[in-house]
Amino acid sequence: MAEKEISIIHPRPSSIVAALYTLRDLDVDVAILHGPPGCSFKHARLLEEDGIHVVTTGLDENGFVFGGHDKLVALINKSIELFNPRLIGVVGTCASMIIGEEMHEAVLEANPDIPVIEVEVHAGYHNNTKGVLFALESALDAGIIDRKEFERQEHLLKKATEVEKRAGAASKEYLAPSRGDVKYTVAKRIFELLQEGKRGLVIMNAKKETGYMFADITLAVNEAAKALGKEANIVNMANVDDSLGLPRVRQHAENIMKGFKEHGVEIREIIGGMDEYPIAGELVSELIKEKYPDYDFAVITGVPHALPMECLRGMELISVTNGPRQVLPLKEMGHEHVVVEIDLHPKTLGVSKIVNSELGDTLREIIKENL
Amino acid sequence: MKKQKIIAIYGKGGIGKSSTASNMAAACAEIGYKVMIIGCDPKSDSSITLLGGRRIPTILDLLREGLDVREEDVVFEGYAGVKCVEAGGPEPGIGCAGRGIIVAVQKLKSISSDLLKEQDLIIYDVPGDIVCGGFVAPIRKGFVNEAYVLTSGEYMPMYAANNICKGFSKIGMPLSGVICNSRNASREEELVSKFAEEIGSKLMAFIPKSQTVQDCERDGFSVMEKAPDSDIAEVYRKLGKAIMENEERVLPKPLDDERLRELTR
Repeated sequence: MAEKEISIIHPRPSSIVAALYTLRDLDVDVAILHGPPGCSFKHARLLEEDGIHVVTTGLDENGFVFGGHDKLVALINKSIELFNPRLIGVVGTCASMIIGEEMHEAVLEANPDIPVIEVEVHAGYHNNTKGVLFALESALDAGIIDRKEFERQEHLLKKATEVEKRAGAASKEYLAPSRGDVKYTVAKRIFELLQEGKRGLVIMNAKKETGYMFADITLAVNEAAKALGKEANIVNMANVDDSLGLPRVRQHAENIMKGFKEHGVEIREIIGGMDEYPIAGELVSELIKEKYPDYDFAVITGVPHALPMECLRGMELISVTNGPRQVLPLKEMGHEHVVVEIDLHPKTLGVSKIVNSELGDTLREIIKENL
Repeated sequence: MKKQKIIAIYGKGGIGKSSTASNMAAACAEIGYKVMIIGCDPKSDSSITLLGGRRIPTILDLLREGLDVREEDVVFEGYAGVKCVEAGGPEPGIGCAGRGIIVAVQKLKSISSDLLKEQDLIIYDVPGDIVCGGFVAPIRKGFVNEAYVLTSGEYMPMYAANNICKGFSKIGMPLSGVICNSRNASREEELVSKFAEEIGSKLMAFIPKSQTVQDCERDGFSVMEKAPDSDIAEVYRKLGKAIMENEERVLPKPLDDERLRELTR
């Protein structure tokens, strides 16, 4: 049944940017934006920190009127000369798509001897996952991924869109951004719960590279439990299966798992791969029902709204997100405490180790103060 | 301050807008009005018959080359002193001609504001159907103060004319009149006159189909220059005069499809 799209008025993630991040996950060396110079600037800049080159044809008024075919051909050639890439992506923008640019013709004319993933995308889609899908379809056509992985990703995207519509940034016509609860208060509450001997679940359900920071919260809660001699009272879960997803995503899982091991943190339950955050809720529900039904609290990081509330009833919920628009939906779901790690994404690009979080560091201070 | 007429003629592609515009421009210039014609078609052929068949550099051509566009580079004097400007645009099938019109018209305004103000009559010759926002930019951006619709008595051109009136009424642009450019359809003058009346406007002129217009155009001239004593030249003179004296402006009430069909049957 087709559901009616609600008219959402707050700015939301762009499909063009989603395509860029997907190209990054597909390990392209260069992503070429075919459009105006400022399009997707902020994310293009961040992605450079993550090791891929992002360049733009910088279409101007002349480009809009006369098209930018020649500029695109020249930029493909220039990129090959400058960066010596093994794989490149070409991404459309609103301007180039509206004027009907044929990016494929430019690729044919440039005729590079490396594969090119062409993504005909603009930002006018209700769900930004469209950008991911278009990038994956082109990757499939270019032989970069196989049909099986494509179908797996397609399923995950569908689920991710459902999660966002149900309880995420696409759930309401307008969601005001919020910084969430004060970290000191929430960290203190976690410490108290542990001190009181309450039993807790520490669940990391993170989207890809964001796990580098959410994992730090798992570390900090474990440090607090250890300091209080309550290690036996907590169970760690995390979506760090390193056998699932695109190569780069598997690498994140491996790196983060390594970080957990170095800190002596045991992940009792692996709840999926790092791209499985939209579906991990099913497994978490089963696990809680079977093994941990009477736990007192849960610290849930990453995409907490993907976990169904039914399995969490009766627990005091502390969730950590990096989305300022996620605070209200989480509160409405019944999460008592919601913390926002505001700078998370820029800090988790271009890293291969767990990075400190504000909530984690605050909790560490509280440990120091109390012991 | 003198009252300046800034008009645009809309109508189905190929119906004779450019011929009408250039002949009317010449007719008005001949009797002493200061006239400018601004071609907004990417084909850049609006003013060609006023320039003896010569093509002039377009605003967008120069902008594309990254040149600093000056008035003397894009405004050319044609027959009877008519100032001729061509916006230009991309090759068919590439880029965005609509955006081109917006950019060119804005550029012209910024480099030639004095010259534009001096004119008694400025004619924007806009391409065929209004396919996107750019094609109504001269109106939307408030450059045009009178809009005319040109049609023959055939069904499709009238359908297009009616559609254009729908667009006008949507954007709140009044219509100043309907011009009939005959293609020898039956009862043509009567039909177009009735159409004009029913949408709340009036018929400005009936231009009979004339081989003279074709012959002059083929040689690269307007009728006014090449065949000044012809009957058709007189028709354009009358039209020019009628437009210069016209003060009517009504928000058109477009007909529904059924009524339009009934009318043309």
